[in-house]
Amino acid sequence: MGKSKIGLIARREFNERVRKKSFIITTILTPLLMVGAMVLMAWLMTRENDRDKEILVIDRSGIIAPQLTDEGTLRYRIADRTLDEMRQEAPAGAYGILIIGEDIMTDPRAASLYTYESSTVDIEKAVADQIRRIVEDRKLKSYDIENLDEILAAIDSPIALQTKTITETGETQDSSSILSMASAYLFGLLIYMFVFMYGTMVMQGVIEEKSNKVLEVMVSSVRPFELMMGKILGIASVALTQLLIWVAFITIVGGAAVNYFAGDLMQAAGAMNAGAAMPMDMDPDTMDQAVMLSRLTDVRYMLTLVGGFTVYFIGGYLLYAAMFAAVGSAVDNEKDTQNLQLPITIPLLLAFFVMFNAMKDPNGPLAFWFSLIPFTSPVIMMARLPYGVPWWEVGVSVALLYLTFIGMVWLAGKIYRVGIFMYGKKPSFSELFKWMKYKY
Amino acid sequence: MEDILKVEHVTKRFANHTALDDVSLTVPRGSVYGLLGPNGAGKSTLIRIINRITAPDSGKVWLNGRELAPEDVYRIGYLPEERGLYKQMKVGEQAIYFAQLKGLSRREATVRLRQWFQKFGIEYWWDKKVSELSKGMAQKVQFIVTVLHEPELLIFDEPFSGFDPINANLLKEEILGLRDKGATVIFSTHNMASVEEICDHITLINKSHNILSGSLEAIRHEHGTGIFEVEFRGDREALRRQLDARYTVLADSEEAEAGRNTLKIHLEHHEAIHALVAELNDTVEIRSFREIIPSMNDIFIKAVAGQL
Repeated sequence: MGKSKIGLIARREFNERVRKKSFIITTILTPLLMVGAMVLMAWLMTRENDRDKEILVIDRSGIIAPQLTDEGTLRYRIADRTLDEMRQEAPAGAYGILIIGEDIMTDPRAASLYTYESSTVDIEKAVADQIRRIVEDRKLKSYDIENLDEILAAIDSPIALQTKTITETGETQDSSSILSMASAYLFGLLIYMFVFMYGTMVMQGVIEEKSNKVLEVMVSSVRPFELMMGKILGIASVALTQLLIWVAFITIVGGAAVNYFAGDLMQAAGAMNAGAAMPMDMDPDTMDQAVMLSRLTDVRYMLTLVGGFTVYFIGGYLLYAAMFAAVGSAVDNEKDTQNLQLPITIPLLLAFFVMFNAMKDPNGPLAFWFSLIPFTSPVIMMARLPYGVPWWEVGVSVALLYLTFIGMVWLAGKIYRVGIFMYGKKPSFSELFKWMKYKY
Repeated sequence: MEDILKVEHVTKRFANHTALDDVSLTVPRGSVYGLLGPNGAGKSTLIRIINRITAPDSGKVWLNGRELAPEDVYRIGYLPEERGLYKQMKVGEQAIYFAQLKGLSRREATVRLRQWFQKFGIEYWWDKKVSELSKGMAQKVQFIVTVLHEPELLIFDEPFSGFDPINANLLKEEILGLRDKGATVIFSTHNMASVEEICDHITLINKSHNILSGSLEAIRHEHGTGIFEVEFRGDREALRRQLDARYTVLADSEEAEAGRNTLKIHLEHHEAIHALVAELNDTVEIRSFREIIPSMNDIFIKAVAGQL
């Protein structure tokens, strides 16, 4: 039909959708809700950590209890009742009971901790560490070494491990595994959510056109393929617009927040990006944060992530949107889509679950293969990218993704042009395959 | 008359049935062409093929002497039986969108739409959403959208279904008006009354075959009964006795008793009309003389029943 009308159709889809109140509201509300949720989570976590945990000590050896010192939120107190009494009735505010056996100096298993709620690894480790230190100190003292206290003070050397990743070009880079993990999770989840959200939007759009009976008029003016592609691309531009607004929002609000709360760190991070060494007088925690910030403000690193996200989001969205469009064309209303959606939802869900593995082991075989398979690669590769992935793997994965997309659009187009004129029956998969072979 | 559209030996099969089997027809330019047939006969499939919505398995379609090409959608306006508009879109914007899909520029479309809206007195609909319009109102908008790009060939699939009588009449006048301006109109229907009122050519499709084609005149003539009715002033019985000698005069029906002075005469040959009229003229004062022509409805039912 002469000039392709995909642009015209895409423009309508775009205009209709971005002008909707619901679009404007979600675009504004989502980042606010996200920030709100994060603040709430942080608040709950600090509250939980701030809660004092009282541990009642029954020390049969008489050695340990006097030397136990409160540490963090852990408070030690000598028990004033017997174990049996405390078992019957928990003393108010008690977290647990620590029992030290008489022979703690010779039997490493002579200490037990009873808790009223399930304990955590951190607490167990803290308690065990204290007892170990007290026992070790005592044993050391039994050797009658002169100036022992000074010697001990002199040899105390806490180590702050500085992690660096060796890049392909042989340079080293400060790495922050917490940041990598957070980005992996965030980007993987975003791709998953966006593909699902906007793919469903394509499907709903097709069903709406079908139930409005507007398709026959449309198809007398444009080819069904143009109609399908116009819709897919129009909605893609809606998604990218929304994303752009969010990125701008995060950059501005995040940047302002960092500058306000952590101006000093920003300077350190900026210096690090400029190649300066880490200031020596920083304590390890602050240093971690500085490394994180240095990565966040490292333009090349962020460009890799944002660029990767864009490429994988577009590819993944296009691939799945074509499938969603085919499903939408085959049914009369949304209720009938469940069954046909399975081939879409299963790989997406699979990708979502493999993502957690990929975050932990970004270069393992599971992560490797699933980041090449086009149906899962957008989510999995995004979960791997923050850790650094060899360029050839990204290249192969992107090429596979876009090739599969082209093939899928072709197949979906065949189903679509038959499906949009099928009313009144719930098609099965075998029927969809038959439609692919129809000559039009 | 030059032909605008030619359908040649078109066959279209679906998985379980044949929708069109070797159908051919010719549409003269400037005609109002009726595509008749019972439900499920294959009319809509044929219309979809002409609109390039679907392709025939075999056979060809020619427009203006050239095989149908993608650009031809600009020359065709199509109002499908299943009508619909985007419900959430505003009327004016939507009409512009459809016009653009048919190759009009935004500016040209706006100008023409304003004229049509003025003509129908519906300017105030422009910024309404389609969902706010009644069904009849939406149909009007859809009609305007169909004809806006001034196509030389207009195709209406069951145009009168769903229209109330007033709007159906408006539509009929618009169709004839478009024909007078030089457009060719094809419409499918099973409403025979509308066929007799506005069609000049028809094709009757039944069970995926073209079973009857031609100008309305010729078809009705061909299916004429050879029975002529004369209404006159004079002595009825005298005339009957006089004619009985040379002609077959049909027995009186009820309506004769109802006070109309008429007789029905069967003629074997059309050539005998002149002699008959001359004889009648000599005997009585003729008030009317006409051939009893079967209605399209009768022809339709007879043809479909295979009684032709």
